[in-house]
Amino acid sequence: MLIALFTILLLGGGSTATLAYIADTQDSVKTVMVKDDRQKAALSTLKAMKKRTNARNKYVKRASKDMKKTLGQEDINTTDIDAIWAGYFAEIDQYDHDMLDLRWELKEHINREEWQEIFAGD
Amino acid sequence: MSGLICRLPSAMLFAAIACAFAGCASKDDVSPADVEKQAFEDLRTEIRAVIDDLAREGEAIALVNELSEDLNALRETIAKRRQRVRELNADYDTTRADFEAFFNQVDKEIKSNKRQVSEKQREFLAFMTPDERLAISKTHSKARDAAIRNIQTI
Repeated sequence: MLIALFTILLLGGGSTATLAYIADTQDSVKTVMVKDDRQKAALSTLKAMKKRTNARNKYVKRASKDMKKTLGQEDINTTDIDAIWAGYFAEIDQYDHDMLDLRWELKEHINREEWQEIFAGD
Repeated sequence: MSGLICRLPSAMLFAAIACAFAGCASKDDVSPADVEKQAFEDLRTEIRAVIDDLAREGEAIALVNELSEDLNALRETIAKRRQRVRELNADYDTTRADFEAFFNQVDKEIKSNKRQVSEKQREFLAFMTPDERLAISKTHSKARDAAIRNIQTI
């Protein structure tokens, strides 16, 4: 349990994927937007966001596993911990950057009124 | 429900959790917070059993208490960050610079937190022997296993 605690505290849990939820708005997009080329393009961008988030989640799973393994060793090497942490956060920075690119791509397909309706609950 | 639990003696809470895991009550009757509370209690009990030296035992228990608070703080932080990013995203006119400023702030907080957690991890290594660590990590309880599953989904 201590290893699981140190791992989650070091890697920050779900706080590193705050934009992931945008990819889950397909149903709202289908409801709010007319079924046309713009809707098709918006759904395609959301699909790309989902794909990017899945790749991020895969990386996080691997980093968590490596961190747990390292923390569970009898002779813990702090250099290994730092290396896992640095790699993990480089991936998170890249993820944020990619998700922002995709968010702006999404905005190109959705007008102001539609956007406000899709994200009204937020 | 939580108000009622606060008024229950801890032995009754323990009995309720044990009962839920034994299948004589619905697991829905016990919240993840109750399971986690029990898991931390199990961990403290195990530390008391494994470490003979009272001073080191006290330090280990104090560290567990700090980690429990850190975990609650992390949950709150995550909730606040999620809320803030939703607000930024919902505003059609939010600039990329606004998002980047938010992410930079989160980065700074995470890096500062990493230093604190690493410090605690070093303390933990310093006052527990490898044998003691191994003994504690090998011991399982249903509440601890369930709490680990909860923690991993944060």
